[in-house]
Amino acid sequence: MTVVATLSRQPGRPRSRSSAWRGLLYIAPAMALVILFFVVPVIVTAWMSLHAWPLMGAQRWIGISNYVRMIHDARFLSALRFTGLYTVVATIAIFAVAFPLALFVEKQRRFVGAYRTVIFLPVVVGLATASLLWVWLANVDSGFIGPLLKELGLVERSPNLLASFDAAFLTIIVMVVWKIAGFTMIILLTGLQAIPSDIVEAARIDGAKRWQRFRYLTLPLMRRTIALALIISVTGSILAFDQFYIMTAGGPQNRMISVVYYIFNQSFVSFNLGYGASLSIVLLAILVAISIVQLWLLKVGDDKA
Amino acid sequence: MSVAQDTRSPVVSARPTGGPEGREGAATGGVRLSGVRKSFGSLDIIHGIDLTIPEGAFTVFVGPSGCGKSTLLRMIAGLEEVTDGIIAIKDRDVTDLDPSDRGIAMVFQSYALYPHMSVRDNLAFGLKMASTPKEEIERRVAAASAILKTDHLLDRRPGQLSGGQRQRVAIGRAIVRKPDVFLFDEPLSNLDAELRVSMRIEIARLHRELGNTMIYVTHDQTEAMTLADVIVVLREGRIEQVGSPREIYENPSNSFVAGFIGSPRMNLLKARQEGRNLGLADATLVAPFAAAARASGTEVTFGIRPEHLSVGHEKIEGRSLEVVVDFSEYLGGTQYLYCQLSDGQAITVEYRSPVPVKPGDRIILSWAPDWIRLFDPAGMRLRADEA
Repeated sequence: MTVVATLSRQPGRPRSRSSAWRGLLYIAPAMALVILFFVVPVIVTAWMSLHAWPLMGAQRWIGISNYVRMIHDARFLSALRFTGLYTVVATIAIFAVAFPLALFVEKQRRFVGAYRTVIFLPVVVGLATASLLWVWLANVDSGFIGPLLKELGLVERSPNLLASFDAAFLTIIVMVVWKIAGFTMIILLTGLQAIPSDIVEAARIDGAKRWQRFRYLTLPLMRRTIALALIISVTGSILAFDQFYIMTAGGPQNRMISVVYYIFNQSFVSFNLGYGASLSIVLLAILVAISIVQLWLLKVGDDKA
Repeated sequence: MSVAQDTRSPVVSARPTGGPEGREGAATGGVRLSGVRKSFGSLDIIHGIDLTIPEGAFTVFVGPSGCGKSTLLRMIAGLEEVTDGIIAIKDRDVTDLDPSDRGIAMVFQSYALYPHMSVRDNLAFGLKMASTPKEEIERRVAAASAILKTDHLLDRRPGQLSGGQRQRVAIGRAIVRKPDVFLFDEPLSNLDAELRVSMRIEIARLHRELGNTMIYVTHDQTEAMTLADVIVVLREGRIEQVGSPREIYENPSNSFVAGFIGSPRMNLLKARQEGRNLGLADATLVAPFAAAARASGTEVTFGIRPEHLSVGHEKIEGRSLEVVVDFSEYLGGTQYLYCQLSDGQAITVEYRSPVPVKPGDRIILSWAPDWIRLFDPAGMRLRADEA
């Protein structure tokens, strides 16, 4: 008895060791999932990327040859360029639509709940489903957009929206905005709602007009929310695949092949699994780098409110 | 306007008997509300308020929560729309003006500082919005922070300040704008008790130095009593009484005001008119003034403050009551005895004598008839001349 009592009174190692074990026990399920579905696949992919790894037949160790090959792979570089273009345009377009929408549905007005729901609705549709829907909408003959333009007399012949790069690119951007903007809007909305109303009132008394309040209060106070929405949007755009695969199958003149699409082609069309794996590792590195930069932006001037 | 200003000393140092003077005064440079109403949909919050606040007066709106005092203040600030009526500041109709054009500045309960700006930028923000020249901004920011002794905080963010410092900055932000009227919306409620007292003194000092009209909303009657030149007691969107703290305390115009102002509250006991006397519990008391006009048996509320009751052991005919002590609160300088009358009504007594009193003791309470306040069943004050 006394021994136990003395031991337990000592703030020593036995207790802290047992609480460390308990901590491990708590995070074990999450750790197991992360290890099983992220760490192990990454390691396997990294291992594969150092091989010439055909789908059938023996794999062969080739060291970093896959990575060297990449540098001179014009198709990979053009896929990177296209993905970059798409990411910039899509992100700007999504924000340009989502921010005004967020400002619109933030105010308490009649039917605001209905507006929020309607604008958010496309988000719950799967991206592949949405792509298929828009393939139909963009169809020359039996679709909606082209025939509508013709009916309205704006064009003479119903245009094939997915036939030229510009029109197809525009169609895909519009589809993605329609699909994603509602989600970004909700994120931005939470940021807007987190701004205390009395700060806005204080600014009104201080004589700040609507635009000045937006510029000097809303934007700075929403920095973190905007950063979050930005990371989600950028990451999503860099990993874009479904819409190009389903809507344009790589697009007119193969100009719409995103990086993920190219990885898919290399791995599962050409069966260069090793090369595909090395491309995946590079893409992962790019995403990590971008996320680090964005997280750093997120922390700039970290202030306690 | 300037004439009105000249008739008053620029700095109001002595307490004007602001209440009655203000209500009658026609051309004041202060704040005038006439027939001001506010409704949210079909729900009326403010039911037609007429009030004149003389220039330079420190006016306190006080009332229980939900009485509309904050809403009224926000209407003066221009943050709430006025459903009906007119608000004038310095004889200028501001009812539909933007908050920034009304010549007001407001201090919020939550301070409402801009969290991403330094104290300096917080103070300068209003001037910056008004495109004030840089040197002027610097001069006024320096002047305001000198008054509030916040110079050493200018480069910090609000998040790095204590509650008291934040409130100083918030007040500084108001001073910088050089408003005609300062509006305070429960500015001390978020501070701890000790800071509250020192900030209260600070605000009083500020009013003495600047001499501006100030309107202050609080539910804390100590703040109301200590700061105010004029107290406006509100209940359910109506003014119950306007007057100096002394008037309100000594001459409440109804039982609500009597019970609301003063701590512990005034004892309001149910009594009956019995001829020329009052029946209270099993005792017959001498009415403080002739009440012959009132029919016997009418209910009357007998009000007396705890500090006006004295504890003794001898009955004085018609001016004393026998009670049983329930329990007591010892506060050092004084002691509150919570007692019961023979019919179960509770009565609180302030007791200063060192002679100990135990729960269960029977004591005799007596008073000077001048301290009795009588109210009719509707709560309205009964006065000698009316009876």
